[in-house]
Amino acid sequence: MSNRILIVEDDEAIASAVTLNLQVAGYDCAAFDDGEKAARSLAEDHAYDLALLDIMLPGIDGFELFDHMQRYNIPVIYITAKTDSASEIRGLRDGAEDYIVKPFDMLTLMVRIEKVLRRTGRLNTVYRVRDVELNSETRTVTKGGRIVYLQPMEFDVLLLLMKYKNMTVTREQLMTEVWGYDYVGETRVLDIKIFSLRKKLDLGDAIRTLPKLGYRLEDR
Amino acid sequence: MKLWQKAALSCVAVLAAVVAVCSAAMLLYARHTILDISRQQTLAKQRDLAASFSEMAGYYLLDTDSDTVQDSLVRYCFDRFADDTSVLMRGGEAVSSALDIDPSALAGTAGSQPWSSLRDSRDVFEGKVRGRDILMASGTVLVRDEEYTVYTVVDVTDIHRDLVRMALIFLAVSLGGVGAGAGAVTLLMRKGAKPLAALSAAARRIAGGEYGIRADVRSRDEIGALAEDFNTMAGAVQRHVAELSETAERQRLFIGGVTHEFKTPLTAILLHTRLLQRVNMTEAERTASLRHIERQCTWLESMTQKLLKVITLRQGIVKKPVPARELADRVRDSTRQLMADRNVTLETDCGGEVLLADADLMQSLLVNLVDNAGKAYDPGGGDRTVRLTIREGVLEVRDAGRGIPAEAQERIFEPFYMVDKSRSKKLGGSGLGLALVRQIADAHGARLEVDSAPGRGTAIRVLLPK
Repeated sequence: MSNRILIVEDDEAIASAVTLNLQVAGYDCAAFDDGEKAARSLAEDHAYDLALLDIMLPGIDGFELFDHMQRYNIPVIYITAKTDSASEIRGLRDGAEDYIVKPFDMLTLMVRIEKVLRRTGRLNTVYRVRDVELNSETRTVTKGGRIVYLQPMEFDVLLLLMKYKNMTVTREQLMTEVWGYDYVGETRVLDIKIFSLRKKLDLGDAIRTLPKLGYRLEDR
Repeated sequence: MKLWQKAALSCVAVLAAVVAVCSAAMLLYARHTILDISRQQTLAKQRDLAASFSEMAGYYLLDTDSDTVQDSLVRYCFDRFADDTSVLMRGGEAVSSALDIDPSALAGTAGSQPWSSLRDSRDVFEGKVRGRDILMASGTVLVRDEEYTVYTVVDVTDIHRDLVRMALIFLAVSLGGVGAGAGAVTLLMRKGAKPLAALSAAARRIAGGEYGIRADVRSRDEIGALAEDFNTMAGAVQRHVAELSETAERQRLFIGGVTHEFKTPLTAILLHTRLLQRVNMTEAERTASLRHIERQCTWLESMTQKLLKVITLRQGIVKKPVPARELADRVRDSTRQLMADRNVTLETDCGGEVLLADADLMQSLLVNLVDNAGKAYDPGGGDRTVRLTIREGVLEVRDAGRGIPAEAQERIFEPFYMVDKSRSKKLGGSGLGLALVRQIADAHGARLEVDSAPGRGTAIRVLLPK
């Protein structure tokens, strides 16, 4: 089951971008552009794993909305354009898990979301693309229910592609995340891992090569 | 040395000099007068004695008498008139003397007083004999062809002593006077200098940044006037400093506001660009993303235009005569599309008057007000009119829209203030429109008035200076 994320952001452009990005990566999202509407909806449906709250909101603001989140035990990451430390301090002292300041990068936000989910024990550890399932806890991969054995490096590359599915993962990102920052060897090793993943899991068309950029695991 | 000390010292010096000269002159004059009187008395006494003696002796003495008889008679006659100051001499010998000194010897040694007022000054001698001050008058008389010298010798030691005592008393009184004077002058000068010290202290504290400090000096003299001027100056300095820091604070807030306002559209553009770069999107999603980017860019562009205007406005404006009608027409032309989109009618009402203004800026001001007024209407039917009136230097834009809550009315001209932020954003508001209106009004020296009630509409008036 994928993680459910509540987004409360009054700027439509930002809300749509964040929602779309999280959805393609496998998250289940609900977005509201008004604090009051969001608070009201919680009464009926509060099965969220995380809330992304803008601070400046019409209706009731992010700080106030935080109290509602606490009632349902939903961890909170604030999205704010306020860089003044006063609001940061207030946000964090109230018990928010994290905050992110505009303008922010989606990858950064996703890393933070993942960290919060992991810390609160809510992180979905099972990723799925077509009939391939990856469990990051047990480090097992199955295809159509049958276990497929992968080398550790192959597993790590697949995990990253699955985590950011439908998004381009750059070669640099893959190299640093899987092989480490100080890796200075041939990047051809990456091409080899991708080649064997495609072959072992029959993902030839799902793992797309984006020349000079990187790879993208697509399921849409 | 401080000014008051200098002044006090010179005052005391002058006082002392004047007192010394006066005292000396008085002393000398008194001495002269007293001694002169003594001389005259002595001389008169001597003349009296001599005359009486010679008359009596001339009467009693006979040529026939023997020398001894004559001597006795002379002595007798002399002693009849003599006292303890009288001496009679004949040919260098004392005939009768109450004194144990030889006056004739004295006459040679003691000098006469050259400045004496006596006519017969040569007959008066003064001198010191055995430590005593002596005044001596002499004169010769003839008795029976015999020449006698009559002396009156007066001891004036006491007079001299009294004079010295008097001088001492004078000196003491003078010193006391000068001392008292010095004290008084010092006190006065110090009191006079105190306000200056207070002024100086106040000036130092103001220099240290305490602009609220005033010199507490209340006197009617020039120092009081100086203190008043000083306080006026301190007030002006305080006002200017406050104005400057207020301007700086406003600018800081403004720049902070600009940065803040730019963050949201920039974030949106960044996020959508990344989406387009990295995510396999459907055609519909791609189009939506691009539209978001375009809209954010348009908003940024209009915001930049307004910012530019706000910034250039700070460099001053040029006022020229503008016919009100022409201004209204220009506003109508440039808001035609906006008004049509919102289904709002713009009515203008102005006479033939000519305003003194920067036409472009005044147009921009009115366009902003008209645009805002148009936004005040929620979708729906009813009266949807914006009225622009220009009469007697008052420009008014009135609508019958949703109105502005009382607590928000004071803040609407602040940069980036929006009564309903999400509503404004949806209508493409930047939060700078009314801030620009205020800037333009300020540049023209015009006053702004807001007349509004929620649900009943808003009128904003620009009152140009007379």
